[in-house]
Amino acid sequence: MATSVRATSDGDSTGWRSKLYRLDTKASPYAYIAPFFLCFAAFGLFPLIYTGWLSLNQVELGTGAQWVGFHNYAELWDNQFFWNALRNTFTLGLISTVPQLLMALGLAHLLNYKLRARGFFRVAVLAPYATSIAAASLVFVQLFNPDYGMINQLLGHLGVDPVQWSSSKWPAQIAISSIVTWRWTGYNALIYLAAMQAVSGDLYEAAALDGASRWRQFVSVTIPSIRPTIFFTIIVSTIGATQLFGEPLIYGGNSGSGGSAHQYQTLSLYMYDKGWQVGELGQASAVAWVMLLILLLIGAVQLFVLRNNRRKLGG
Amino acid sequence: MAQLTQPVAPAGSRPSTAARPARRRFRPRAGGAGKQQSGGPVAYLFLIVATLLSLFPLYWTVVAASHTDTDIVTPPTPLLPGSHLISNLRIVWDQVDMTTALVNSTIVAGCVAFSTVLFATLAGFAFAKLEFRGRNALLTVVVATMTIPPQLTVIPLYQIITDVGWVGHIQSVILPSLVAAFGVFFMRQFLSEALPVELVEAARVDGAHSMRIIWHVVFPVARPAMAVLGMLVFVQAWNDFFWPFIALNQQNPTVQVALAGLGSGDHTIDHAVVVTGALVATLPLLLVFAVLGRQIVGGITAGAVKN
Amino acid sequence: MRTSGRTRKTAVIAVAGLAACATLITGCSSDSKDSGSGGGKAAANEKITLHIGDFGSFGYDDKTGAKLFSEYHALHPNITVIEDNVSDSGAYWNSLKLHLTQNSGLDDIQALEIGFIANATQPQYASKFVDFNTVKGFDAGAWLDYKEKEATTSDGKVIGVGTDVGPTAICYRKDLFQQAGLPTDRDAVAALWAGDWGKFVTAGKQFKAHAPAGVAFTDSASGLFNAVLSSQPDQYSDGSGNLVYDTSPGVKTAWDIASTAVQDGLTAKLQQFDANNTWTAAFKTNKFATVACPSWMIGLVATNSGPANQGKWDIAQPPQAGNWGGSFLAVPKSGKHVAEATALAQWLTAAAQEVKVFQKFGNIPSNKAALSDPAVLNTTNAYFPGTPVGKIFTATANDIKPAPIGPNDGVVKDTITQNGLLDMEQRGTSKDKAWSNVQAQVKDKVGDQ
Repeated sequence: MATSVRATSDGDSTGWRSKLYRLDTKASPYAYIAPFFLCFAAFGLFPLIYTGWLSLNQVELGTGAQWVGFHNYAELWDNQFFWNALRNTFTLGLISTVPQLLMALGLAHLLNYKLRARGFFRVAVLAPYATSIAAASLVFVQLFNPDYGMINQLLGHLGVDPVQWSSSKWPAQIAISSIVTWRWTGYNALIYLAAMQAVSGDLYEAAALDGASRWRQFVSVTIPSIRPTIFFTIIVSTIGATQLFGEPLIYGGNSGSGGSAHQYQTLSLYMYDKGWQVGELGQASAVAWVMLLILLLIGAVQLFVLRNNRRKLGG
Repeated sequence: MAQLTQPVAPAGSRPSTAARPARRRFRPRAGGAGKQQSGGPVAYLFLIVATLLSLFPLYWTVVAASHTDTDIVTPPTPLLPGSHLISNLRIVWDQVDMTTALVNSTIVAGCVAFSTVLFATLAGFAFAKLEFRGRNALLTVVVATMTIPPQLTVIPLYQIITDVGWVGHIQSVILPSLVAAFGVFFMRQFLSEALPVELVEAARVDGAHSMRIIWHVVFPVARPAMAVLGMLVFVQAWNDFFWPFIALNQQNPTVQVALAGLGSGDHTIDHAVVVTGALVATLPLLLVFAVLGRQIVGGITAGAVKN
Repeated sequence: MRTSGRTRKTAVIAVAGLAACATLITGCSSDSKDSGSGGGKAAANEKITLHIGDFGSFGYDDKTGAKLFSEYHALHPNITVIEDNVSDSGAYWNSLKLHLTQNSGLDDIQALEIGFIANATQPQYASKFVDFNTVKGFDAGAWLDYKEKEATTSDGKVIGVGTDVGPTAICYRKDLFQQAGLPTDRDAVAALWAGDWGKFVTAGKQFKAHAPAGVAFTDSASGLFNAVLSSQPDQYSDGSGNLVYDTSPGVKTAWDIASTAVQDGLTAKLQQFDANNTWTAAFKTNKFATVACPSWMIGLVATNSGPANQGKWDIAQPPQAGNWGGSFLAVPKSGKHVAEATALAQWLTAAAQEVKVFQKFGNIPSNKAALSDPAVLNTTNAYFPGTPVGKIFTATANDIKPAPIGPNDGVVKDTITQNGLLDMEQRGTSKDKAWSNVQAQVKDKVGDQ
């Protein structure tokens, strides 16, 4: 690549040069996206297609496949455990992403102030992201332990009865979402912060000249300016929430059942249970594809909403 | 260089303060630094609470790692570090090949972060600022690939690495994640707002070759986002478990794989040892954060004022 | 010009970084290639390394175990044995399944846990292992009858050699029994429930009537269920491996006993081996007076209960003998050193070595000659002063009646213990509702059989 740069700048024939230039304009975008698509073709496409094919078969690991068409999908429709997992994925996703992103936005705004020890604060809120899901979940199951966990001890001091953080549905979901929120808030805050710092100071100066308050500036300058980044975090969090797996798995003691009454079994766990524990690859693949379709649907809705908003805002 | 950018930065369109001389518009992100307001006591209060909430579980990891398994499950739960850290560490190193694991993880996470940042910036730039046929469709494909659940793709992926003979070797963990859709999307979103299209057009008008634009226009603007992305991807690759556990083994593990070999002895799992292992696995990252993170987060704004 | 200087630096770093990664990747792969490559059959004196993949604690290693690897190396100077150990047997089996189907990433010897042996004897996996019937010097009769039977496929291949078994007795707290007015002598205690698990529940009610505050009779419904079921001649599957759990008298007995214990409030509502450590902690905080303990659990009872409770536990014969746990060693055919690996697996499971592991580590041998070895019979444990640990467990091991097992047993067992019983204990679900939940879940997981 470096050679071609030199060739262009050293070339003296203008015709040659403009031809090259045109080729460069046409071809270079494809060259830039090529590494991603090559990598995806090598390691992503086959799994995707293979999974789709598996979902149309009855197949176990190491055995031959038997074509069943859309039977695996049809079965999911009447399956209470699938719907339960879908509901849990939805509620867990909601309570772990919405507060998380709002907090991250506020945190980023605060971190964008001129502060003493700003570097320390920024690193400190990002620190949870450094822990692996396993390590974080390990610590949180200790904290949330109904018998001797610190949180129930603390509640005890306040006169609150011990909360059953694993056997009751909502407490368990709250405990799990707190692991997610803890790990990812600082991460999203940092992403917002990077975007906020790219916002031109002129916009703020103009707003300040118009007499806008800090809050007003935040709402009418910061938020619209970093909209692509907000959109990015929403998409990524939605995907992360839909695929929520490690936290409920480890919270339930490495069991795919997600609690004694499946009170926090997510779609990913349900799929894992089917695919790895029971070995029903076909059905597990069908769940995977349903997850994919749900995500594409959510993505389309989000895109639609965003487009509408942009038109309204005149962006 | 100078001619390349001057047309988009007409001097004096707005009075600039002493702290940010004319260079400000050279890199658009520079503007952020100047407008920063000082935080009041409320801001500090919130940040201190956020810091405490963030750090407490980490602190507790240290506490747990310095006690015995028995101590940490017996109420009242210890709140101060104990005296067993060294002996727990010794057990960790006795039970698994932690040194190899740390080296391997550094290589894996370093390579993955490096190549992801490089390729994602290129692709992100193309998707954000270049016109080409099928751009939107391809971008949709990129985002869609993020939705594939990783727990299931391991089966076909394992088939692939078996066929090429990488089982047990670290390239089986590196190569499939050389560039992530997440990274491409991240850079695309960042550049679409941070890189003014005039800057690219001006360079084009000047007849700059696209590689030149990358070096001289895109990279400087994208540097903070590249740093953030690099850090995020490094951590992600470092903490990845599900796939490496299947592709590697205890002779040639990454840190997370090595952790899976921890704690089993005498028919029971020693949780203090497991937590100590988790601490060992986390410390290098915190160190990277502390050193690099300060540089990065400081650099995002400070760099602008400096030049 | 500053910027261009910086970008040049970026470019240099970019190229250097990519080059470094490429070198590291190729360097590492060429490094590690020699580890597994012997190329066909090894010559008599060629130096080879055998990898043994296992999980949890097998007690072979040189650090905390019986130092069998270095002993083997002394006997065969050209052979070095390396253990590839992970703690979680479930994660181990998940990746082993994938490794077997692809014939890659396999160690020379792979351990198989009893919970997965019925899966491993299914044709798609069994065909990947050496059939010990074809191995010189192998005699299935050397192990307990039920042991090798479990590793035998429907067409008569034997894919694994037995390491240990898990004869199950009842560990009980003498001090708590005394406070509740029950006998404390282990023979008198065993007499309370001899021959009938129902009497065990009756003893529990007696205990409860005078129990110290906050102490349940037994730790968990699932522990009780497993102990009862493992003593039944018919369990989840019939002789041909099909699930019959919902008509099996053994399952019904175990379910009834366990749910009666729950309804009578005899269990401490714990989940054994839970990630939250609650079960582990409850030993120390005296939450229960008995736990059905397989031989491998006594080390755990000791560490969990801590020094403060030393001498308070004793072990009594169970109402009926059952087996809970144990493993096998299997040799994948695709290995580079199949003959050497097979020889090592046989050596590790020979009577002499199983005795050494037992002495050092407490794993009860499945090899008959080892089981009757005086060194095993006369073993005691300092945490249980005066308890003839060796005699109790070997007696139980010899009393065990074999039961047919099937590939889906584990799914049913997990559903019953982790969902059905735990749901009754922790969420107060009724017995009938819990059972219909179990049926629905099993149906969802394994389909109609």
